Amino acid sequence: MASLITCPHCGQRPKEEFAIKGAALARPAPDAPQGEWYDYVFLRTNPRGRYEEYWHHVSGCRRWLVVTRDTASHAVEDCRDAAERAPT
Amino acid sequence: MPDLIHRPALTKEPLVGERIRLAPMPEGTLLEVRGPQAELPALEAAADAAGLVIRTNGPDQWFAISGQPMLRLDLPDIFSVTDQSHGRVRIAMEGAAVDDVLAKGMAVDLFDFKIGAATTALIGHITTHIARLDRDRFELTVLRSFAESLWHDLETMSAEFLDR
Amino acid sequence: MTSYRLNQGGLVDRATTLDFTFDGRSFTGHAGDTLASALLANGQRLVGRSFKYHRPRGILTAGAAEPNALMTIGSGGRTEPNTRATMQELYAGLEAVSQNRWPSLDRDVGALNSLLSPFLGAGFYYKTFMWPAAFWEKLYEPFIRKAAGLGRATYEADPDAYEKVWAHCDLLVVGSGPAGLSSALTAGRAGLRVILADEHHALGGSLLSETAVIDGVSAPEFSARCVEELRSLPNVRLLPRTTVLGWFDSNVFGALERVQKHVAVPAANRPVERFWRIAAKHAILATGAEERPLVFGGNDTPGVMTATAMRSYLNRFGVAPGKKVAIFTTNNSGYALGSDLESAGVALTAIIDSRADGPAYSGQARIIRNAVVTDAFGGKSLTSIRIKHDGRFETMDVDALGMSGGFSPVIHLALHRGGKAQWSDERAAFLAPDDLKGIALAGSVTGAGNIAESVAQGSTQAAGLASMMGKSAAAMSASVEGEMENRPSRPLWFIPDVIGKAFVDFQNDVHRADLKLAAQEGYGHVELAKRYTTNGMATDQGKLSNVNAIGLLAQARGLSPAEVGTTTFRPFYTPVSFGALSGASKGKHFQPVRKSPLHDWAAKHGAVFVDTGLWYRSAWFPREGETAWRESVDREVLNVRSNAGLCDVSMLGKIEITGRDATTFVDRVYANGFAKLPVGKARYGLMLREDGMIYDDGTTSRLGENRYYMTTTTAYAAPVMSHLEFCAQALWPELDVRLASVTDQWAQMAIAGPKARTILQGIVDEDISEAAFGFLAAREVSLFGGKLTGMLFRISFSGELAYEIAVPAGYGESVADALMALGEPHGICAYGVEALGVMRVEKGFITHSEINGTVTPADVGLGKMVSRTKQDFIGKQMLSREGLSHPSRLRLAGVMPLDPAHTFKGGAHILSKGAEATLENDQGYVTSYAWSPTLQSPIALALIVNGPDRHGEEVVVWNGLLNEFTPARICDPVFFDPANEKLHA
Repeated sequence: MASLITCPHCGQRPKEEFAIKGAALARPAPDAPQGEWYDYVFLRTNPRGRYEEYWHHVSGCRRWLVVTRDTASHAVEDCRDAAERAPT
Repeated sequence: MPDLIHRPALTKEPLVGERIRLAPMPEGTLLEVRGPQAELPALEAAADAAGLVIRTNGPDQWFAISGQPMLRLDLPDIFSVTDQSHGRVRIAMEGAAVDDVLAKGMAVDLFDFKIGAATTALIGHITTHIARLDRDRFELTVLRSFAESLWHDLETMSAEFLDR
Repeated sequence: MTSYRLNQGGLVDRATTLDFTFDGRSFTGHAGDTLASALLANGQRLVGRSFKYHRPRGILTAGAAEPNALMTIGSGGRTEPNTRATMQELYAGLEAVSQNRWPSLDRDVGALNSLLSPFLGAGFYYKTFMWPAAFWEKLYEPFIRKAAGLGRATYEADPDAYEKVWAHCDLLVVGSGPAGLSSALTAGRAGLRVILADEHHALGGSLLSETAVIDGVSAPEFSARCVEELRSLPNVRLLPRTTVLGWFDSNVFGALERVQKHVAVPAANRPVERFWRIAAKHAILATGAEERPLVFGGNDTPGVMTATAMRSYLNRFGVAPGKKVAIFTTNNSGYALGSDLESAGVALTAIIDSRADGPAYSGQARIIRNAVVTDAFGGKSLTSIRIKHDGRFETMDVDALGMSGGFSPVIHLALHRGGKAQWSDERAAFLAPDDLKGIALAGSVTGAGNIAESVAQGSTQAAGLASMMGKSAAAMSASVEGEMENRPSRPLWFIPDVIGKAFVDFQNDVHRADLKLAAQEGYGHVELAKRYTTNGMATDQGKLSNVNAIGLLAQARGLSPAEVGTTTFRPFYTPVSFGALSGASKGKHFQPVRKSPLHDWAAKHGAVFVDTGLWYRSAWFPREGETAWRESVDREVLNVRSNAGLCDVSMLGKIEITGRDATTFVDRVYANGFAKLPVGKARYGLMLREDGMIYDDGTTSRLGENRYYMTTTTAYAAPVMSHLEFCAQALWPELDVRLASVTDQWAQMAIAGPKARTILQGIVDEDISEAAFGFLAAREVSLFGGKLTGMLFRISFSGELAYEIAVPAGYGESVADALMALGEPHGICAYGVEALGVMRVEKGFITHSEINGTVTPADVGLGKMVSRTKQDFIGKQMLSREGLSHPSRLRLAGVMPLDPAHTFKGGAHILSKGAEATLENDQGYVTSYAWSPTLQSPIALALIVNGPDRHGEEVVVWNGLLNEFTPARICDPVFFDPANEKLHA
């Protein structure tokens, strides 16, 4: 895990200021097939490498962020506001 | 009808050292304002007229502050105003050692934190809004329920600079 | 008396004499001494006993890698075991005690272990203590526990303060030798924000022990000038006594500063240790190289030390190692020492060089090439060595021996983030990988052989970084005279014809034969050999021993050191005290305390407080004569049910929701409908997780067209706020909704009981009669004749006629006082969270005891609340899963013992009458339990298979921990006033 996260609003902050929710998945449409909902609620990949996660800057601006990081090297590739980006 | 008495959250004597001074600030008016960033000039104008100072608090959110109680801020509907005058407590911290003292609890690099800058960050275990009012003067704003704990932490952090 | 202080020389302040004790005996040293140099100056060679064999041990090094000279420093709560005497600055009044010996250092019973050494070799734990199995717990483990470990920690509380601090810089320089100083100076002059850290108390690193002349002045003088200039630069921070001990993600470094470990009584307002977290844009490691011991018999005899250490004691501390000295070397390091010894007037008998081609030497000492020392003798103090050269053995009487097996660059930090050390045949050393990002290396840590090269390297690295950061830097160089250039050694892992034990890891008593045994028995892999032999473990983590062990393993397995490889390097570089890691977070600073605005009100009514998360909540309010908590709680419950009570509920989460789409938002986050909630009304809301289970509950009031006031449970206030923010920002950013936590803005109190309205009307300006302010009314109200505006909610968690009133927090106590005064004639009492809990169980209301992550709305009897018409809400899709409506699910019911004199506990399981207590027979469990003073019986809520359909059934409540079986009956979970008549009284 990275020691410092560069919040797009607050700049470089220590990981202690954040809470991590987990995989940044797109919420299916309300009328999506139940299979899609099962995947969204229960299915997670656990990749070695690039991973997109929801992080919440709890002790800062209180914005939800999408952090793209490498689970092996811990390098952070990208960090942006969740509202500005539909998760992939 | 019984008397109504306002009780401040923090009843502490100021802590004084040559290079650090710490004091509770008066519980006046503190409004949490939400709205579009683009409309900030309108907000600032309205605040100015009302005798309130604006401090940024992240995207699309501000505090409007004054040491005077019960000030009102009339804004168009695109803004939401929430009274937090009783929900937040401000502490003034100043002196030549102020950056060093804050570094004991906070990871924000104050080297680049100019006069007028404000942000929310963790001090120790407590989320705190900090604003640099002058080179050696900060305003720390904290949830009322945490005010005493933050004060204790700041006292510990300042200990080496206090006259004891 | 062997080692002694020379009459002159060294950097110690001979004018300042410091008294200290070692094992109770008094000694003196000088300011600038380490404990180790002061002991040596006093001729105290024997400083400890080894871990396993209790062999006499002396000081081996002059730095952080010291494996032998571990001492307990201080007394009482300040007792600190395993302090390296080589790193401990001497101070007046220092009390040092040796370790691992009994009854004394000189006469140690444990030394008998040496006689048992054939049985104590590698893997002896695994072999010796195998059988009989029954002996393990009673005999072997206590024996091992007693024998294991080095120093003993104190049981007394540490009286001192510690702190953590953040720092930010463009460049962190680790190490203040020639490369470190030139890096810091070059970057500092260019205007970079620089931090220079060094683990020693004096900055200068190897320069402090050097006799070469640099730029026309002595090496220590050169270093002092550099430090002076650095100190004058406002953009440079110097951190002496600071060990950088870890390199972490995002280029954050951990460092431990020993702020007051060099004074007898630390100043109370300053920390003794400070843990730095340094966010560095870049770092330069100028950490130098560690000299390796040579592995010959008796190489642990006091009087034998590394050549660099001997040179440091001589030049920096003015301490001669002995009266007749010899040097055993594989490289030029020994010659530099030899020359300095002879200059200082110390008799040097011989330099024994394993090579055929050593450098020219102009001193008096005999130079013996192609030679090795096979053994050292003398027990507690070196008396002689046995040399082999030209096929012959020769014994030489000496009282001190310097040894140099070559140098291992101190690359630890560079490997903390997963990099692997690379063996270099040319340097005969493991080097850092060359693809490092965020750090660069300079000086002898790269294998650089001399001062000028180190200075140039450090400066070049720093200048490169400066230009990368847009600053121009001038390169720095130094002209050096009189330095013995250190060429790489030819490794000498295995010395033939050794008689005695040849130690590889001094701290763990691992000798050469142990490694050979490990390889023979199939544990030759470097990671296995470490575990099998314990080589490289304990406080020094193999700083001196690992490379020698790798060399010997390589030889035993017929491989190269590159093929054997190293074990994993992990933080911390040297041990860190728990005090430093916890920093200021201890005692009342362990975690913050949240205080309600009604805290002082509760305290003056005698509240007993209970920790609820970070909050202090008033639990009950004992009155005079009440001795047991339940007396108070029973009284409070009965009083609320017959008169009235006031309870602080300020810690409930309170969230203001505004914005054009506030209604849509509230409707989507709750499972029940909110779209049609009229302004001025409150509604109980059920919030689900996406998997359909209940997340939290609470009431939400519509105070305006687009303004809602939501309450959450106390425990879930923060998670619910985060959840709502997630919904607003990540799921539905298109909605115009703003959320503000107003938990701290409002003091909120519940006023419950038949007389609640009468009392409340005394402060509320408006009419709050049943007609004007009916059940679930919720709106702003004027109070105290217009002096205050508050919010009033007609909601009840007790089943009584009840209100919650919210007032600005600063007026909370005053309002509570007013209500208590007005209520006095009506018999009002303060009640706490315990009475609140009893009344909610009596009414069958759920809390997080029931909402435990496994229950759906239907499971707790609230299935009908869930909207069938809403297109979407959080949890809708998964709630429709077939299994969630199966009748056999655990569902809410009440349970009462058949005999009210019987009790049971929360968590107890339900069994059908007559059924055995097995997993298969489990019918559910008790979630909440209370004594109901209203019903004069224990009552409980439980989640029971098919619970709602089994009212009236006799069951058994089984407490497996106490093995209690209590006959009970399943019943309706609403024990009191099921028709809700009191609510509307």
